[in-house]
Amino acid sequence: MDISIFSGQADDNTPTAKLNSGSEVFEGAQARRERIRGMLFVSPWLVGLGLFYVFPILASLLMSFTNYQLVSDSGVSTEWVGVDNWRRMFQDARVWNGLWVTIKFAVMFIPMSTLFPLGLAYLLTSERLWGRRFFRVMFYLPSMIPFVASVMVWRFYLNDQTGWISKILGSVGFEAPNLLSSKELILPTLVFIAMWGVGNSIIIFIAALNGVPTQLYEAARIDGANKWRLFRDVTWPMISPITLYNITMSLVALGQYFLVPFVLQGPSGKPEGASQFFTMVFFQETFSFFNGGYGATLAWGMFIVVFSLSVVIFKTAKYWVHYEYEER
Amino acid sequence: MKLLKRRRLGRLKTSLALLLTLGLLAAACGGSSENADSSESSSDRSDSNEGESSSGDRVEIRWFVGLGTGSQEEQIDGQEKIIEEFNDSQDQIELVVEFVDNGTASSVLATQIAAGNAPDIIGPVGLGGSNAFAGQYLDLSGLIESTGYDIERFDETSEIYRDDDGLTGIPFAVFPSAMYYNKDLFDEAGLPYPPAAYGDGGITTYGEGTEWEGEWNYDKVEEISKILSVDVNGNDANSPEYDKTAIEQFGYVNQFTEDPAAMGSHFGAGSVVSPDDTAKIPDQWVAQWKWYQNMIHNLGAAPSFEYQESEVMAGNAFNSGRVAMANTHLWYTCCLADEDGNFRDNWDLAALPNYEGTVVSKFHGDTFRIHEESEHPEEAFEVLVYLQDTAGLELLSIYGAMPADSGGAGNFFVELDQQFTQDVNWDVIIDGLDYPDVPNHEANMPNFLEADARIKELKDPILSDPDFDIDAAVKELESDLDEIWSEG
Repeated sequence: MDISIFSGQADDNTPTAKLNSGSEVFEGAQARRERIRGMLFVSPWLVGLGLFYVFPILASLLMSFTNYQLVSDSGVSTEWVGVDNWRRMFQDARVWNGLWVTIKFAVMFIPMSTLFPLGLAYLLTSERLWGRRFFRVMFYLPSMIPFVASVMVWRFYLNDQTGWISKILGSVGFEAPNLLSSKELILPTLVFIAMWGVGNSIIIFIAALNGVPTQLYEAARIDGANKWRLFRDVTWPMISPITLYNITMSLVALGQYFLVPFVLQGPSGKPEGASQFFTMVFFQETFSFFNGGYGATLAWGMFIVVFSLSVVIFKTAKYWVHYEYEER
Repeated sequence: MKLLKRRRLGRLKTSLALLLTLGLLAAACGGSSENADSSESSSDRSDSNEGESSSGDRVEIRWFVGLGTGSQEEQIDGQEKIIEEFNDSQDQIELVVEFVDNGTASSVLATQIAAGNAPDIIGPVGLGGSNAFAGQYLDLSGLIESTGYDIERFDETSEIYRDDDGLTGIPFAVFPSAMYYNKDLFDEAGLPYPPAAYGDGGITTYGEGTEWEGEWNYDKVEEISKILSVDVNGNDANSPEYDKTAIEQFGYVNQFTEDPAAMGSHFGAGSVVSPDDTAKIPDQWVAQWKWYQNMIHNLGAAPSFEYQESEVMAGNAFNSGRVAMANTHLWYTCCLADEDGNFRDNWDLAALPNYEGTVVSKFHGDTFRIHEESEHPEEAFEVLVYLQDTAGLELLSIYGAMPADSGGAGNFFVELDQQFTQDVNWDVIIDGLDYPDVPNHEANMPNFLEADARIKELKDPILSDPDFDIDAAVKELESDLDEIWSEG
């Protein structure tokens, strides 16, 4: 008796083993061919990725170590300046102001951009709400309007002389706050405007809420859970991966937050730089002052900040994000 | 057998898919070949039409519009017509235009230059807009000499465009300033109109023979502005009941001229660069900023930034009909129309007031530039001359600009009279050329872009903040400018 059959070890000289070996050779060759074909199929996208993403990213990193100017007098050449731009970034008061403005905004914006759409999604999935579909459309509609157009409307809306808020407050005897010219109120105002565009987050939360298995609620109810316990112990853990996603997306959006304050408050971020976000400093240096090298440094600086915060969020995720299946 | 068939079928599918992918790639990358085909067919067509030359034989000259005026919606059709006429007039040059919104034109042009794709002709552009690209323009002296272009007719004006690189522009358009006033609001208040002409040295009198008679200076402007400013209850700014939170109309505005250097020049020309190359804000500028801050926030006689941006003024205060006087340039005629585009006929022009005996009609000048890396400078110069001379009057009318060549001013105002039929006092514009701001408020300075942006930061607090400490801000500005210049 060939004991190897029982031990699971095939003898290389047996006919069965030879057949298996031939099959492996055949499959190996086929696998190689398929890999090559696969590479051929994805090669256009790889070329695009290389040319339009990887190369510019690496080029911008290199640029950050040069004094590259978008427009310079003839005869002036780009030179390697080492870490001068990076040193300048740490000493630039406008950069620190831009970072501080961005952080203050983030402290308000990230919780709001998570809790506000979650709250609305919770309402919009309520079975008792009449006209759910209508409200879902209404809350999503602002996301479809170009932000520049909406910012112009907001400018009129928030005007302390003739805006609606001013008129409403004035009609009940209150003096309207100067929302756009007050150093204290401008960031909360921008957060308020930002809530206009949370339609996408609402849709994602609605999908997540609808995905929570109903039997979990039924089991919890049998155990005597009230509404708060249902939310805290069933809903929240089950939608926590989506919450993590939304927070990460908010963080990335924050790193690119530019359009609204730029259009509403101008490149200097009035009043007195109180709304000059880091991205606006980057824009001004690169596209107004044409300092391409320094601008690249600022872009990388922002990337490092956002990337670091994202890493922190992902590292803390194990304490508050619940996955239905254990990670392997 | 079935297995073999399946494998063959699989290979066939793979090959087809590969072919399809390659086809898609070829289609995506093959724009040029498609263009080549189309140009071939177009040349075939032109071959069949004797006498017509295909555009491929022509030298292409790119004209970049937007750094100054020219890219507003209502200006585009007229310029396109001029381009069409130029292209039809000869068969050597194909003039191609790029209209770029003024807000982004500087960035777009910088990107084009950085990419080695600079346009041949840039303009019309003023001194301020040009400073951002100083060192990029071609010295036109050689071309002027070789073509025999008559530059002498501009007298000394052409020297404005002479710098370290040579003569980089030919005077094209000038925009002196004047006082625009709303006749309806003056009539309503029972006040005499501002003076129609300058007197000796520019000094003139307001309301001669009336109870309001007095020297036409900024104190007088303040005095009558208070009468012309009215709140919702009908009180004027002299009344103790005047409600500054609900003002219906104002007396005065620095219309579209609220950049600090521009505003400051109303009280007298000056330079922030002192003789020892350090920063020194001219005293008369500081006085003007304080005067305007007081007009806005203490007297309620000029609109704040918030009022100007509100829906009732929509960013164009004087045109809203809620401001009685506006100190601004000739180009403001561009923007005096109602929502349907009908030109307004309830305004006129007056002389500018003096400040401590000095009258300034702040001056803007536009020109066309040729980029120094133009591959076809001769052809670009030919186009430039066409735009300057042959199509000059038509373009000036589109831009609302007066010809730098004073001989053409008469025809220009005849054209404007067709738009504004109320017999506007254009003489005061021509006379304003005697009181230009020298040095110009848009003059170049070291590290211009950063220094200019820093100066402009003062605009918003002056217009928005009643408690803004101008003296402290000036000291800080001077210190910052010294630092910016040392970096430059």
